[in-house]
Amino acid sequence: MAEYKKVYGIGAEFNSAADLLHAAEKVRDEKFTKWDVHTPFPIHGMDAAMGLGKSWLSTPVLIGGAIGTLTAALLTFVPSWFIYPMIVHGKPFNWATLPAFFPIFFELTVLFSAFSTVFALLIMNQLPKWYHPVFNWDRIKKATDDGFFIVIECRDPKFSETKTREFLEGLGGTNVTLIQD
Amino acid sequence: MSHSHDLHPPVAEKFEAKDAGVLPKALLGIGAAGILVSTLGLFVEQWRTQFAHSWLFAFTYFLTICLGCLFWNCLHHATDSEWSVVIRRQVENLASLFPYFALFFVPILVSLGILYKWWNMDPSSEPLLLAKQPYLSKPFFLIRAAAYFIVPSLVALALRRRSIRQDGDGDSAHSFMMRKLGVGGIPAVALSITFTGVDWLMGLDYKWFSTMWGVYLFAGAAGSSMSLIVLVITALKSKGYLKVVNLEHYHTMGKFMLAFTIFWAYIGFSQYMLIWYANIPEETIYFQIRNTGSWWYLNTLLVVGRFFLPFPVLLLQWTKKKPKFLCMVAVWILLMQMVDVYVIVLPALHPGGLSVSPFDISALIGIGGILGWLFFRNLGSAPLFPLRDPRLEGSLKLTN
Repeated sequence: MAEYKKVYGIGAEFNSAADLLHAAEKVRDEKFTKWDVHTPFPIHGMDAAMGLGKSWLSTPVLIGGAIGTLTAALLTFVPSWFIYPMIVHGKPFNWATLPAFFPIFFELTVLFSAFSTVFALLIMNQLPKWYHPVFNWDRIKKATDDGFFIVIECRDPKFSETKTREFLEGLGGTNVTLIQD
Repeated sequence: MSHSHDLHPPVAEKFEAKDAGVLPKALLGIGAAGILVSTLGLFVEQWRTQFAHSWLFAFTYFLTICLGCLFWNCLHHATDSEWSVVIRRQVENLASLFPYFALFFVPILVSLGILYKWWNMDPSSEPLLLAKQPYLSKPFFLIRAAAYFIVPSLVALALRRRSIRQDGDGDSAHSFMMRKLGVGGIPAVALSITFTGVDWLMGLDYKWFSTMWGVYLFAGAAGSSMSLIVLVITALKSKGYLKVVNLEHYHTMGKFMLAFTIFWAYIGFSQYMLIWYANIPEETIYFQIRNTGSWWYLNTLLVVGRFFLPFPVLLLQWTKKKPKFLCMVAVWILLMQMVDVYVIVLPALHPGGLSVSPFDISALIGIGGILGWLFFRNLGSAPLFPLRDPRLEGSLKLTN
């Protein structure tokens, strides 16, 4: 009895970073939307070749940084100005003591932006993730060593089991494989 | 879209004198006029003190920018940078103006007794000066001044000469030699900025000292010289030259402007806070003068204008990819560097408050005009980018 298996997509392997870059440009020009490349290292110009826009990571970082500055302002001014107004080291305790608090402003801004970078990055990449169908393809392990891959998912509106396979082979892809979920 | 595989090898570009129009001659003219007016101050007794301080202000302003350019030139070679190959010749052209500063130093040399109180003081009359006597002695001061001009000049001229020779023979041996010069040049530039600052600026008040002085001046110099490089490149592009420079290069230059805006604020604030917190009279006097009376307005303008305005503007990505906008920011940063040097030098003469003198302006346009004219001579004498640098291709393909 034949076992029923869901299809995830089609993967193809390329020889070099340059081949992959040019193949990615063709995939982009064919208006595929649900696809990705897998490489051992970042490739310059891949963003443009894949037709990716500017990352929206900077927005959460800006918000995180602003919250950090605000937190620092509250943590320094509220105690020293309102709760415990005391003269320490001959320095004032109202707004004029601002220079003493700048290092705290700076550190908390950096800390909060770093936190929001890490967490926003995890959310954007949908990490941590315990299972991904792409690992059902044995060769993909080479993506951490010396392999360059394109995987087009079957949920892409332009996906076709036969035509997409021919298309990837036409781009110079080798080991074109149907990946199952 | 253009890709790496359809790049054409760029053709050599040489600056045509007609594209500059009357600008070099006009610069020479107003420069000469500025110098002439300033010289008046050298000979009329009641104007001498004002003239000496105004000249020191203008001299330091251009000196920091020129040394900053030399720093970028050395950094390019020391780090084997690819991105900056196409803009490097202009950095070389600016940095190799450094030897001429020895000429502009002459008015300061004849005004040492006016500018620096310690010059005519008997060290045994003042314990603070006595303690600094090994450093603040006349012969050592003059030997140091000579070293500040000779060493960076040699580096700047050697780098430019090598680079032009490579245009001719394409020998990669020049690149290796320039890397050595760059690695040696960085400490030479660092020591020159630090100790010119100590000798000629910190020495305005022999009692005052700050251990962050050198790096503070460097931070301002690196940011403002990058701004000047952006302006020079854009001016050349507007005349149809340097088509090899694209928005990726502007983006990178803008990032450096942002980096040194932050670095300037970081160092400037650290210096201020350490002095404010420690509260030692001979240290706080520097900020006390600059934070009272009308100097407060200028000093506040500096803090807001050199950091709080350009920081959020340069933080955005599109501002760095719009040459026109980036040029406006660059002009602003160069203006703020001028305010910075003004607030360093002139309060030594007018501790009571801001008092602008015609000599401030005449010295500024005098030195600036002559340097501009000399820059045009450099510009015409060599191709506009290093044509046969082994890393040129990488620079053309820059992505970031």
